[in-house]
Amino acid sequence: MTLTDQPAVTAAIDPVTFEVAAAGLQSAAEEMGSVLKRSSYSPIIRDMDDFSCAIFTADGHLVAQADYIPAQLGAMSLVVQAVLARWNGRIQPGDVYICNHPYLGAMHLPDINIVAPVFEGSELIAWTGTAAHHIDVGGVNPGSEGPELQDLFGEGLVLPPVRLSIAGEENDDVIALLTENIRDPRSTISDLRAQRAACHLGSDRVLELAERYGVEVLSQIMARMLDSVERGVRTALDDLPDGTGSAEGFLDDDGRGGRPTRIHVAVTKRGDRLHIDLSGSDPQTAGAMNVPWASARAGIVYAVRAVVAPDMGANDGLLRAVDIVAPDGIVLNPIAPAAVSIRHNTCQRFADTLIRALTDLWPSKAVGSSTVSFFCFNVGSTDPRTGRPAVMADVVGGGTGASSLGDGLDGVDTYMSNVGVMPAEVVETNYAVRVRRTEFVPGSQGRGQFNGGMGLRREYEILDHAQRVTFYAEQTHPDFRPRGAAGGEDGKSTRITFVDEQGRETAAPSKASTTLPAGTIVRVETAGGGGYGNPALRSEDDAAADLADGRLEARP
Amino acid sequence: MTARWTVSIDAGGTFTDAIARSTEGDTRVAKVASTPHDPAQGLQRAIEALAAEGLPLSDVALLCHGTTVATNAILTDGLADVALVTTLGFRDVMGYRQSSRPDVYSLTPRRPRDLVDRRARIEVDERIGGRGEVVVALTDDEIARVVDEVVALAPSAVAVSLLFSYLEDEHERRLGAALRAALPDTPISVSSEIVREFREYPRTATTVLNAALRPVVGAYLGRAEAAVVEAGLDAPFVVMQSNGGSVPAERAERQSHQLVLSGPAGGVAGLVHLAEVHGIDNLISLDMGGTSTDVCLVRDGRAPFAREQRLQDHTLLAPTIDIHTIGAGGGSIAWLDPTGRLRVGPHSARAVPGPASYGRGGVEPTITDAHVVLGTLGGAELAGGLTLDRDAAVRAMARVGEPLGLSPEETAEAILAIGLAHMVQAVRKVSVERGLDPKEFSLVPFGGAGPLHAGLLLRHLGLRSVIVPRQPGLFSADGLLVAGLRFDDSRTVLRTLEPHAVADLAEWYESAEAIGRAQLELDGVPGDAITAQASADCRYHGQGYELTIPIEEADVTGLADVAERFHAAHGELYGHASRGEAIELVTVRMAVTGAYARPSRSAADSGDAVDSRIGRREVRIPAEGMREIDVIDRALLRAGDRVDGPAIIAQMDSTTFLLGRQHAIVADGGDLIVMEDDR
Repeated sequence: MTLTDQPAVTAAIDPVTFEVAAAGLQSAAEEMGSVLKRSSYSPIIRDMDDFSCAIFTADGHLVAQADYIPAQLGAMSLVVQAVLARWNGRIQPGDVYICNHPYLGAMHLPDINIVAPVFEGSELIAWTGTAAHHIDVGGVNPGSEGPELQDLFGEGLVLPPVRLSIAGEENDDVIALLTENIRDPRSTISDLRAQRAACHLGSDRVLELAERYGVEVLSQIMARMLDSVERGVRTALDDLPDGTGSAEGFLDDDGRGGRPTRIHVAVTKRGDRLHIDLSGSDPQTAGAMNVPWASARAGIVYAVRAVVAPDMGANDGLLRAVDIVAPDGIVLNPIAPAAVSIRHNTCQRFADTLIRALTDLWPSKAVGSSTVSFFCFNVGSTDPRTGRPAVMADVVGGGTGASSLGDGLDGVDTYMSNVGVMPAEVVETNYAVRVRRTEFVPGSQGRGQFNGGMGLRREYEILDHAQRVTFYAEQTHPDFRPRGAAGGEDGKSTRITFVDEQGRETAAPSKASTTLPAGTIVRVETAGGGGYGNPALRSEDDAAADLADGRLEARP
Repeated sequence: MTARWTVSIDAGGTFTDAIARSTEGDTRVAKVASTPHDPAQGLQRAIEALAAEGLPLSDVALLCHGTTVATNAILTDGLADVALVTTLGFRDVMGYRQSSRPDVYSLTPRRPRDLVDRRARIEVDERIGGRGEVVVALTDDEIARVVDEVVALAPSAVAVSLLFSYLEDEHERRLGAALRAALPDTPISVSSEIVREFREYPRTATTVLNAALRPVVGAYLGRAEAAVVEAGLDAPFVVMQSNGGSVPAERAERQSHQLVLSGPAGGVAGLVHLAEVHGIDNLISLDMGGTSTDVCLVRDGRAPFAREQRLQDHTLLAPTIDIHTIGAGGGSIAWLDPTGRLRVGPHSARAVPGPASYGRGGVEPTITDAHVVLGTLGGAELAGGLTLDRDAAVRAMARVGEPLGLSPEETAEAILAIGLAHMVQAVRKVSVERGLDPKEFSLVPFGGAGPLHAGLLLRHLGLRSVIVPRQPGLFSADGLLVAGLRFDDSRTVLRTLEPHAVADLAEWYESAEAIGRAQLELDGVPGDAITAQASADCRYHGQGYELTIPIEEADVTGLADVAERFHAAHGELYGHASRGEAIELVTVRMAVTGAYARPSRSAADSGDAVDSRIGRREVRIPAEGMREIDVIDRALLRAGDRVDGPAIIAQMDSTTFLLGRQHAIVADGGDLIVMEDDR
């Protein structure tokens, strides 16, 4: 280990102190994550990890994060900045803010951010924050998502930055408002309190560091953490060849069954700066496929880090090396109150397109595309133990792309997301839904010298009574399947099927909100990842193992 | 009455350490080379060596053993091939696992290793539902079909893990019975007998890992028991588990997955004991053997525990001590990578052939050889009857030094610096990365190679102090004695915590405690040395993770108390409690532990002061250059003595190296406290 790699910015701070304090902030963020996970009620948080935690500077720049969901992490700073913009001058110790406004950093309504100022005496020295996906925040559909929705108001309850706690006391007004506007207030409010407790724990850790090093030194350390990531990205960029690249990708439709929506990215690299132009993308969509600016920003942070400097810590310093052009009114920068609840599927497609644009610029970094289907399955169900309403939300991953280093991963969430699949035992314990199978789809992967990862087949059976279901997926159109790289084959696209009580199968649309009778089965088979390299170059051992393990059968 | 002896033997990758202590305060020690191809041989030789030192084998009351057999099987791909029997539609749970990626920002991820090949995952047409009801009945024809398929695969072990078996185990039991009848000589691991907890992935993974280890662990324990008898020892034989307590060898095979940290657990038990003895709450251990180094951080006098453990790519649901392991030890080999950079480890010269200076045929340069070239090791005889061959070490240095244009001494310094960086990083991993400052901790280096780096680590990490145990090479073995026997039982009950719903649990606790006590008494522990700890895993209704709440008295009143304790614990740990909410009691647990008659740590000899200096030696000290320094015989040191660095303190099983401006004080129990002069 050498310490000489650290940039010499502030003479007063020696490299060892910097390293120890930076690691202390990092570990505070990680500890927040483990406390939130362990004390939450909703399976989407505790079993599927759909949440994030981070520490921010006093002026709202993210300096340390627990690596959970890149889509959330890349946007949380904007929430802290929105709180500062609205409440500046009136923020006091013990205040805690809540916000799910997609146009103020929260991305879509279910992602509720809770952020808390850290005060040393009367001085605001930092912020701690958590973002977590809550199963339901009201609106037309259970789960508060719907591709067909056309504005925020149908999607659910919109919370601009307001106070969840005032000077240490819970704000009853906000709790009362939430209770009457969402479908499962009991679990949701408990989880919000768990988020707040995680923020307080993070605050305690930051204060311990402030006590050890002094407020002034700690703020210099945070500034230097931003500088060092900026410097790292600039150095990495500088080492890569100059040039231009571009790529386009498509959504199956506009969320309402209209024509495919185009994402276009053009990139230019000169010296140590990267220029990203999104203006070739389609205008904002009629349905809820729009990506609010906070999410597009998160996509850029993700893709640039993944391609340019995957081993480097992430924080807001990264964006200082990037110029972005994104005109108002495009699908990647819509104008309020355009609906955004399905923005994550667009985000995944955007991440894939941006990665392909960057590898068009640097072909040696090419990899097979991962699935961007992001199948989500929301059910307005009941808890079989209590008979109370319970909203279920599940996500099914697929195959990742192969690379020059090996095969892709089978059956995982991809790119900017890292949500686990809900264990079948958790589904059936908590909801009137049975998971009948969860298995790989042989042949879904693109073949190559290295194969893409296989997609997943999962079947849900509606039990007991008719239930309201919303599901959506991308990449069901065969033209938009995951691409191979360097001569590798493409993966297969995603498909969804209904099976009725008599066993009759019908093709389901890619996106739907509908009521299904008990006994209905919904089957999803997700896309496999793109292959890498000519399949003829696959080693004999790998090819033999593919056969013996039944990975290659074409699906019926 | 004749003295009774307790023997503990810790088989590491390079050396097998043995220590025997008697009720009269006598000690016998031995150290023999490990025999990795068949560790039982090393065990036998260790017992024979103790006998040669005068241990009366017929007076031995107990043999404790720490083994790395399970760990090595996992680390070296030495696991048995397993067939998995699982519910129709769910065989791939061992492939997609939790369906998330370990590194979200990598576009070129490494594929995790499969514990069971897809071709050996057999599905059964059956289904238990979420309330424990039978949804699809398991027919005898289906059992017959599955058994035939398993038999055709001829696996070394079989794992059975069906959905919802923690609620209703009938299908698993019938399959298990049929498989055991058809394959009487093959271990059959059934999830409801091993880990009765919900969530299909971690439960199935733990069951499969248990199955994959059983043939390996079973074969070893069989050989070990025979070797013990062969060596002339007839005493109860217990094996250390990852949970910090021992289990009789005949029961250890069935819970093989509990042995994955058997080796390091002895050292951690010793560390906790040392914290108690010195009244120091914050310690970091550095257990450096020939092959690897284990680091563990003890805070507030307690060893860290994890209920879920990750090993390589595998998930294990079992209470285990929490340690960090790196592939750097005294035997770590230095080599040049394709770009010409000097690297150290993770490959090791291990016991065979060993470092070049051992003169057993090794030619590659190791960290130990670097010390021999620098002069920190040398002169005296090393344990195991070895004489160090400095010329061989110098020749080994040339293999990597010549291409770099470095002299043997410069090469040795470079190898030591790189090895030290690995150790520093490992210590930082358990401290700095958890926001803890090593300056507030004392380091306890042990294992044969730990104390050689005492002074260097003290300086590089800015530690409070370094405590070198009296017998560093035997510290892990000695820790086995401190740990005691442990008998665990648990049952998942999943019910609301209300007085009428838990009344019958008092009976379960009572019977579990009785069974545990009877078992330990049968194992030879006197009744008054047995303690029982009841506990219950609880959560608020709807939560997914539980807190383990200790129960003072496992009667109806004690159970009523659990709710209040749970609210309090939840509030303390997570910062919020919901007193109005219903509490769910998920799993009841009983841990019965039996302390051995703990041989007292003999005080350091307090006789008249003698000159402990036995010579002077030329040593090339990093950052100081060639110096002639004192060589001290640790056996001649008395409590209160002070040794000023730079100095070498030699003893039978280890060598401690102090830098300039450092000193060591001998504590009452004989441990060395090393500090910087200016602290």
